[in-house]
Amino acid sequence: MPSAPPLIIVKRTFFAAACLALTSAGAPHHLAFQVVDQRGLPLQGAVVEIARPAGDDRPVNFAPRYGMAQRDIMFRPGTLLVPAGATVAFPNLDTVRHSIYSFSKAGRFQIELYGRDQTRTHQFAVPGSIALGCHIHDKMKGYIRVSTTPYAAISDLNGMADVSSLPAGSYAVTVWHPLGRGPDSEWHGALIVAENRPNRIAIATR
Amino acid sequence: MTVPGNIMRLSVWRRRAQVYGYSLQARVSLSITALLVVVMALTVGVADYGLRLYASSVAERDLVAGSKVFQRNLSAQQNELRSAGEMVARDFGFRAAFASADHDTLVSALTSLAARAHAGTAIVVSLDGAITASPGTPVIDGRRLLTGLTNGADGGVIRVGKTLSLGAAARLEMPDLAGWLVVARPLDRRALSEFARLSAIPINARVAQASDLGPDLADVVPGQVNHRYGDGASVPSGAELVQITTLPSLQSGLQPVLALRYPLSSAARAFQSLRLALASIGLIALAMGVLMASRIARNILLPLNRLAAATTSMARGEMTRVEIHGRDELATLARSYNAMVDSIEERERRITHAWLHDGLTNLPNRRFFQEKLDRAVSQQGRDSRIIVIVLDLDDFKLINDTMGHDTGDALLRHFAALLPELAPNAQVARFGNDEFALLADYLAVHEDIATRVEGFARKMVADVQIAGKTIPLSVSFGVAVCPDDAHDSATLIKHAELALSRAKRDGKRTYRFFEATLDEAAIRRRLLEIDLREALRNGEFELHFQALFSPSECRIKGFEALLRWHHPQRGLINPAEFIPIAEHSGLIIAISEWVIRKACSQAALWPDDICVAVNISPRHFEVPGLIPCVISALAHTGLSPNRLELEITESVFINEFAQTTDILRQLRGLGVRIALDDFGTGYSSLSYLRSFPFDKVKIDQSFVRDLASDASARAIVRAITALAGALGMETLAEGVEDVEQYDALIAEGCLMIQGYLISRPVPALQAIAVLARWNDHDTVQARLAG
Repeated sequence: MPSAPPLIIVKRTFFAAACLALTSAGAPHHLAFQVVDQRGLPLQGAVVEIARPAGDDRPVNFAPRYGMAQRDIMFRPGTLLVPAGATVAFPNLDTVRHSIYSFSKAGRFQIELYGRDQTRTHQFAVPGSIALGCHIHDKMKGYIRVSTTPYAAISDLNGMADVSSLPAGSYAVTVWHPLGRGPDSEWHGALIVAENRPNRIAIATR
Repeated sequence: MTVPGNIMRLSVWRRRAQVYGYSLQARVSLSITALLVVVMALTVGVADYGLRLYASSVAERDLVAGSKVFQRNLSAQQNELRSAGEMVARDFGFRAAFASADHDTLVSALTSLAARAHAGTAIVVSLDGAITASPGTPVIDGRRLLTGLTNGADGGVIRVGKTLSLGAAARLEMPDLAGWLVVARPLDRRALSEFARLSAIPINARVAQASDLGPDLADVVPGQVNHRYGDGASVPSGAELVQITTLPSLQSGLQPVLALRYPLSSAARAFQSLRLALASIGLIALAMGVLMASRIARNILLPLNRLAAATTSMARGEMTRVEIHGRDELATLARSYNAMVDSIEERERRITHAWLHDGLTNLPNRRFFQEKLDRAVSQQGRDSRIIVIVLDLDDFKLINDTMGHDTGDALLRHFAALLPELAPNAQVARFGNDEFALLADYLAVHEDIATRVEGFARKMVADVQIAGKTIPLSVSFGVAVCPDDAHDSATLIKHAELALSRAKRDGKRTYRFFEATLDEAAIRRRLLEIDLREALRNGEFELHFQALFSPSECRIKGFEALLRWHHPQRGLINPAEFIPIAEHSGLIIAISEWVIRKACSQAALWPDDICVAVNISPRHFEVPGLIPCVISALAHTGLSPNRLELEITESVFINEFAQTTDILRQLRGLGVRIALDDFGTGYSSLSYLRSFPFDKVKIDQSFVRDLASDASARAIVRAITALAGALGMETLAEGVEDVEQYDALIAEGCLMIQGYLISRPVPALQAIAVLARWNDHDTVQARLAG
């Protein structure tokens, strides 16, 4: 499989690095990314992960609790970012019954059919991405990204993902999206990330 | 001459029709045949072309339909393969095996699937193009499959090893797409022939990479039905239809096509019998058309040829009619043609009749008779004879004059009706006026013609009742016989007419055969002779008188009586012509007697010193009666004998010299003077002068005429006058016309002068006037001095 070329505009990277040096300050940091596909369209549901810098021990915590509901025959939210070892609840808010399965390497599991207002839970210990399906509703797809770094975010409708608490700098960045073309649907790249403006990352999708 | 029209026999017609109409008939038949050939060829050609077109379009349609069947088959197979694949791809265990990379389980499942789906191959293609396949599976390029698969293709042709296979892909979703389960079945010859069996038509199908199709199909436009015409090797069975359809490919770099070939020979086979039938119908129609064309041509042209032949023969004068068949236009034409021939024939007959017949009696005329006679003469056999009789009603003119023309015409008609009864086997004709003719032909040589004619003549005596009057029928006729008398019609008729005239001359109510010695001059003489008899009776004779002048006394001493004949038809007739006839026939005796009496009675009226001279024919000296006649005449008129002078010629002495001399002496004894006429011509024997004492010698006018030019004539005149003077005879010169002659004659001693110088011969009444004129001395002197 051909690896997707790093769609980084080098000029802009240098320019961003210069800016980063000039604006470096002690205020809370905020890194913005915009994930687009090869056509330049914003990608929603992509997970941008910045590898934890050496010596950083900041705990990985994205939310107090993690849940993936089933409503209107859809997993909601479609993509859930959880730290490794987190237990995710799967409440069934539909009137129909659902089952949950995953053939993903990071967490292969299967939950038999369960009914309305019932909840099941599953713990995800291995980092990676988990694709969720329902045996009886082929359309239902949900993704759980098990991350080991606290600097991760999911892109919104505009492909925007904000990673806080990190200054501008050069980082190893991973972008995962269900349709990503790389191995495990991940994109890896070393980026000079600027602050106060969106860092555009283009990835190839299927 | 009309020949009755007869209907000619059909066989004759056929022969003529061939002669006259062959080319037209052939032309008509050929034209129609050629037209038929063209029309039939066009019809059959167009029909055949249409049939081919139809066959071709049917074949095209069949091929298109067959192609659709193929493609439907392909897609049905593809669906079948896909559903088989999808069943497995959904299977949780299979997915689990795939997810957990349980290779053995996966491979066994694939093998099982391939067997179950009767597919040759079942493989899993992962997202990166890696292939999982059961062992022994031919090489499949997974990367090339990815292009189609990632673009959502779920089926198409793939290359498995070297063969092309129909592949169907089922997505492996867990639930995200993790790969594809591809099930493929080889599209080899066997599979394709299975497909072909489902098609209605025998299609030769082949699935191949487009570039592998070969040169003969390289230019075929995909998707369309192409006609290919054999180049021998590639298309052995002639033209074929080819359709190439591009098949969907599941593999990049692969352009599979479905090549369908449909040989037109097999497509056309169904129409072969139809074309054969068409050609047969065309040939049969053509043959029947040709047959009918020739029949029609014959049916139309045969009557036309008959008409043509009939007109041709009519131009030759044969009145030919044509047969009439049926009631069509040609029959009408033939009928009107026949009617035309009838009317022409009738008109011709009438014209011919008028031309050849006499209007009054309706008997054939002379022209007809002569034609008939011509034919009879030309066809006459050696042993047969032809009699021509020309008849004449005696005294018809008299009947006409006394009883009127109506009676005359009635008599002619009556006789015309009577003649055929009298001569039943003879051709009767009227030549004109009261002349008729009979033609009895081909009498045998041994037949006694004289008896027949005699019998006919006896029948000719009858009385005819016309308008209450009885007219005795009196007929004379002349007979000429061919070949005895002549060999041609004109001469025959002429001879018969001569014989008729002789019969007439010899007395009426009689007949004469033609005699060869009878010629026309004789006839004319005889006719004159006949008329002469009449003339004496009818008082047609007259005496003219020419003065005899005495120069010495200068007065007229007498007249010579000259006979004149006023013929009622022919006018004044020259004495030189009729006198010999009169002498020949003996009539001269009667005429002479009349002349003597007439001259004497005339002279008696004149003064006493005027004498009259009368010419006496030598014939008179051969018969008795001259002397009694003279005596009688003198006695009747009381004329003094010495006033009568008889002129004789030398010829009276030739025969009975002594008798003549005796008669002359007796006449002298009566006191009558005798003159020798025409002296100098004839014998001019001076011995005559010595043998008889003539009172006068008349010098022939030939000497007088030559006096001026011929010295010898003058010498002769001189000698005659001298001789006569010596013998005591008076001399007289005849034919004196001018004063020179007169003077010369006087000088030579001629005593008397006669001729135009003195006076022409004048009628008796004028003689006195002539006398009076010449008794005037002064006048006479003046005249003779002139």
